Amino acid sequence: MLRVFGELLARLRERLAPAGIEVGDLVVAREVDDLSQRLVRGEVDFVIETVFPTLVLQERSRRLSPALVVVRRGQREYRSVFFTKRDGPIRSLADLRGRTLVLQVPRSTSAFALPKAELERAGLSVGPADNGTADRHHVRYVLALSEINQAVWVLHGRGDAGAFNDGDWTALPDRIRSQLRVFHETRPVVRGLLSFRTGVEPRVRRLAEEALASLDEDEAGRAALAAAVGVTRFEPLTAADRQELRGLATVLRPGGSAR
Amino acid sequence: MRVGGIGARYAAWISTLALVLLATALGAAGVIAFRESRLVQEEIHGAVAAARAADEDAALRGTGRYLARHLFNALYQLDVERLNEEIEQVRGWLPIESFLVLDRDRRVLTDGTTENARYGDPFAEELPSEAGALQILRRGSATEMRFVVATGGVVAGWGVVTLAEAPWQASLRRLEARTTDLWAGRRASLLSIGAVACAVTLGLGLLTALRLSRSLARPLTEMSRAAGEIAAGNLDQPLTLDSPDELGDLARSLNRMAGNLRAHEDALRAERSDLAAKNAELERFTYTVSHDLKSPLVTIRGFAGLAVDDLAKRDVERVRHDLERILAASEKMEHLLQDLLELSRIGRVANPAEDVPLGTVAQEAVELVRGTLDRGGAEVEIAKDLPVVRADRRRLLEVLQNLVENAAKFTAGCPSARIEIGVRSGSGEPVFYVRDNGRGIEARFLERVFELFEKLEAGSAGTGVGLALVRRIVEAHGGRAWAESEGPGRGATFCFTLPQRGGAAAVPTPAGPPAAGSTATR
Repeated sequence: MLRVFGELLARLRERLAPAGIEVGDLVVAREVDDLSQRLVRGEVDFVIETVFPTLVLQERSRRLSPALVVVRRGQREYRSVFFTKRDGPIRSLADLRGRTLVLQVPRSTSAFALPKAELERAGLSVGPADNGTADRHHVRYVLALSEINQAVWVLHGRGDAGAFNDGDWTALPDRIRSQLRVFHETRPVVRGLLSFRTGVEPRVRRLAEEALASLDEDEAGRAALAAAVGVTRFEPLTAADRQELRGLATVLRPGGSAR
Repeated sequence: MRVGGIGARYAAWISTLALVLLATALGAAGVIAFRESRLVQEEIHGAVAAARAADEDAALRGTGRYLARHLFNALYQLDVERLNEEIEQVRGWLPIESFLVLDRDRRVLTDGTTENARYGDPFAEELPSEAGALQILRRGSATEMRFVVATGGVVAGWGVVTLAEAPWQASLRRLEARTTDLWAGRRASLLSIGAVACAVTLGLGLLTALRLSRSLARPLTEMSRAAGEIAAGNLDQPLTLDSPDELGDLARSLNRMAGNLRAHEDALRAERSDLAAKNAELERFTYTVSHDLKSPLVTIRGFAGLAVDDLAKRDVERVRHDLERILAASEKMEHLLQDLLELSRIGRVANPAEDVPLGTVAQEAVELVRGTLDRGGAEVEIAKDLPVVRADRRRLLEVLQNLVENAAKFTAGCPSARIEIGVRSGSGEPVFYVRDNGRGIEARFLERVFELFEKLEAGSAGTGVGLALVRRIVEAHGGRAWAESEGPGRGATFCFTLPQRGGAAAVPTPAGPPAAGSTATR
């Protein structure tokens, strides 16, 4: 990971050095809690994460402010799709009442948090399958650890439906995808977020944002971005993006199931 | 071969280089042989292991049991991702042609690929039903293995694995591949070692060449420079190369050659200078002689003409007077010619040098001019400490005779006329002198008195050759002659030096005409 982001950091150093800004080291945090504590201690100045972990960090540390959208592999935003067996009875989210939804892992935005938020927006209560809830209106979920497992579990009856992002849906083996059917899509959310610690000096933040947003303007910058897990560019957050994030923050209420 | 010579040095260097090359080659061969032996050992161990594994069915059963147990959790949990990872690992050690994992409905759950193209296909063929059971089917060179994936009576599904070849064939193939890899590695090793050996050899070769070129080229360059200097006429920069070999010999020869050339050049320069001086002297001599000989001729012609006229007038007295003048002019001319002849002899006739007691010679000289001395009334004093000198006795007598005669002339009529012949110490050499208290010489004439036919007093007796003769003889002996005087009326001293005894064995014979300067009588 250090190597993956190393080039990006080097380019950033080059661009901020003339302004007298020294870029520190890269920190790879194992868990959200670890990162949250580092934010609180002021050890980290900006964070690159997907939407859900960003919202969790924001909630826990109270010291994080999203600034830029991370466009990955040309994709600025994605959405989660709900799928079921091609010949299955489920046609809408409402049909999931009393059924089992196969999700991936709690830290996933598109394969856990977003589907869960979507169900809750739709007025459905969601909870793990093993908590003994027998409410027939309750949507139970099981965790399959990977997208391919989610799909296979649905086909093998371990769950009635699954949910992950539209990119993973496209990447499913044809033989499997052909036996499934998408019955619902969420609204799009941004692919990732670059957020600054709130204590960072405004001038530094402004210059860093400008430097990051302009990295894709030259070949070396584009190469550094591509090396960093396929980032295409950083774009400023729009008002619509912020509105959507606020909405998600309200619905997700992070801190519950997410680690 | 000369010890320390170039040949010996070459031999030493080349031997060193050859030894280094040999050592490098032996080292490389040693490394290769060592590696070879290790690799062969590994091969043998592998072959033995493969032979042990030749009990194919037993091996397959073992593999089946392992897979049945190992795949259970992933298959039971329908964890396709993990199953794919397991299959990928198995492909690393078995020649897998296909690997199907069937679920409890005997449908394909995964074929281990990302595409999973056979997902959901029913497996219609017979499968073992009991946990631990294993079917082995031979299909040409391929072998198919079917086993139940079960633990503790719980069946999670089945595995159907097709091996592209028998395990022993796979072993052989792996062995072959391994051998190929080994050979490739060996080749790479050889290339690496060869490259290193080449680099080392090249480096050492370069160093050797550098040292050789320094060792050889430096003296050669130095000699080339020195030869250039010699060619340019600069003979004062000897080669400093002090080498015991042929180059040193050459350098020493060059130095000797330069020294000889320098000596020759100095001699030539001296001779050239001498020749130039003599040429100038000859020019002056020719001019002086022609001028001085012309004078009596003019007299003779003039009085001959007068005699003719006087004869016509029959004036016998006048004719006699004319003829007497003609005779006088003829005598003068004869004297001039005799003196010139004497002067020229000095340059042509060499008498052997001998030890000459100067006092005795001085006494002889005084006796020879006694008449003149007596007429002038001068007293002569000869110092008693006059040494014995190495000289041409006859010429030395001429010197002293001329000087005493010259002194007698210029003291004639002077009161208390006195002439001293003596010796005094000069700058490291004795200076002989003839001193008088006569009429003296103006400073501006001190040098001129030695010029040929030069007479400071026009009416004085003599031809003006005497002092020129003195200087000529003294210089022919390697000495110097000069005049000293404090001015008119203060007397004069004529000095000369002679080389110390043990010098020249004979009076040298100067080339060229007699000195054109000359003495003159005062």
